[in-house]
Amino acid sequence: MRRVITAERPDWRAKAAECGFGFHTIDDAPYWDESAYYAFSLREIEQDLEAPSEELHVMALDMVERIVGSEQHMQQLAIPEPYRDWIAQSWRERQPHLYGRMDFAYDGHGPAKLYELNYDTPTSLFEAAFFQWQWLEDQLAGGQLPAGSDQFNSIYESLVEAFGTIARGIARPFHFAAVRDSVEDQGTIAYLRDCAVQAGIDCGTLAIEDIGISSDGRFTDLDDRVIGCLFKLYPLEDMFREAFGAYLPRSGLQLIEPPWKALLSNKGILPLLWDAHRGHPNLLPAEFDAGGELPRGWVRKPLHSREGANIAMHLDDGRELRTDGPYRDGPCIRQACHPLTAFDGHYPLIGSWIVGDRACGIGIREDSSLITQDSARFVPHAIVEETRGILIA
Amino acid sequence: MKRSKTAALLLMSAAPLLLTACDRSESASREGLYTSVEACVAQTNDSSTCQQAFAKAQKDAATTAPRFANREACEASYGKEQCAERNDGASHSFFGPLMTGFFLSQMLRNGSPMNGFNSAPAFRDNSGGWQRPAAGGVSGGVYRGGAATAMVPINAAPNRAVTSSRSGFGRFGNSRGIGG
Repeated sequence: MRRVITAERPDWRAKAAECGFGFHTIDDAPYWDESAYYAFSLREIEQDLEAPSEELHVMALDMVERIVGSEQHMQQLAIPEPYRDWIAQSWRERQPHLYGRMDFAYDGHGPAKLYELNYDTPTSLFEAAFFQWQWLEDQLAGGQLPAGSDQFNSIYESLVEAFGTIARGIARPFHFAAVRDSVEDQGTIAYLRDCAVQAGIDCGTLAIEDIGISSDGRFTDLDDRVIGCLFKLYPLEDMFREAFGAYLPRSGLQLIEPPWKALLSNKGILPLLWDAHRGHPNLLPAEFDAGGELPRGWVRKPLHSREGANIAMHLDDGRELRTDGPYRDGPCIRQACHPLTAFDGHYPLIGSWIVGDRACGIGIREDSSLITQDSARFVPHAIVEETRGILIA
Repeated sequence: MKRSKTAALLLMSAAPLLLTACDRSESASREGLYTSVEACVAQTNDSSTCQQAFAKAQKDAATTAPRFANREACEASYGKEQCAERNDGASHSFFGPLMTGFFLSQMLRNGSPMNGFNSAPAFRDNSGGWQRPAAGGVSGGVYRGGAATAMVPINAAPNRAVTSSRSGFGRFGNSRGIGG
């Protein structure tokens, strides 16, 4: 794994505009960054990222089965009592899931270490599945990449296949919903909807704020149609504590991601996985946090934290890092500190995509700090033959 | 090759991007829950598909119906006289509900059904709800095989309702979104 400086495509901004990729620059800061790429060998991709992703995914789903049978685990994950039976039922019915992303610390040496599962509302999907793919094709055609370079990225094909597979299990009408004013989230659901339509599924979009409730407790769209299935790019745990949350269990609404994903998008899964698979090479030691001082060599993460918010890190050398955010009061876990490796002063975090149950690609976000936040930039990757790699390095 | 062979966009780009082999004609699906072949024909006007769907559902019912160790447990979920003894061919016998309907789904292109269909047995539980085996019971492809007899409800409820309020979700949203 190497970080390679490369020439940008002169017309990439025009290409982004053409395909509706509006958030390549966010608040005047670059988000899409193709001034460099990460080069991997095929062995690194297949043995160090793809195979462990598939294995961890299976371990995670097995853990759902254990959690739904345990009030104690539900309590540890801080699942509100009124939603527990509903979540368990959604698992017993195997309500269909679509996708998730695992975040790994990996630098080409030693096993990839799982930081967390983003199994409810993963973003950075369009840039990984489409724009990164187009970058590779363009750079191959333009001779900027060695001939024969490839990419670990069948995310698009897997999404269309997944939608096709679950199509008949999706209640209609089927809507994709996200926060109205978030360009990034709207871009993500626009892409998912595009893939669903390509799989032959008739579906629409809706702002999460526009969802209605009827007097008999069913969820409606702006035409007063009862929503059959809702893809919500909005955290389940936030829905649980909002005004309409209490209606969810008895509304008949199908959700994607389904309710059981609340058990996996929860950092509490990390100590449970560690307990069940102590010493697994891709897992970091983790435990539920009882409060108190954070010892050296540990990271404290809230059960529900996104975009690297409210993380406290106490490095082996005594340095302490801390991020602010909205998740101040909830329960936390501790995870052994395994800092990202710097490449030319940048810290890449590997997002490994699982569509259906298949590990099908990666996207890399790079930050200038050890804690990857929403300031991170998306940097593309390529699979480059080792021998050629040495020539161009 | 570890990457997709194409990366098409249908809706997000002004003109369809990188789309060569497919046309853009509207496709959708038609789904129905029927209690008899006659009811199916009345709705779809396609007697051959309805008969095949019924036959396939009846065959699948033997393997995908929920399984109970005894008649009492089955009748507790599906009602009196609604269960029968079955045998899995390896001398294990169990009880399962009788198939009370079948589910048919067909892809439509330009309003006409395309070749092929999906069908599944449907069972009515004692509270009047309809269920069929979960799609996840089919293994292979992008999903791993799940439990073969997981059941999913069929949404046969009326599908319009007057909205009494909105904005009950979204309080925690902001312009940077919620993504992880």
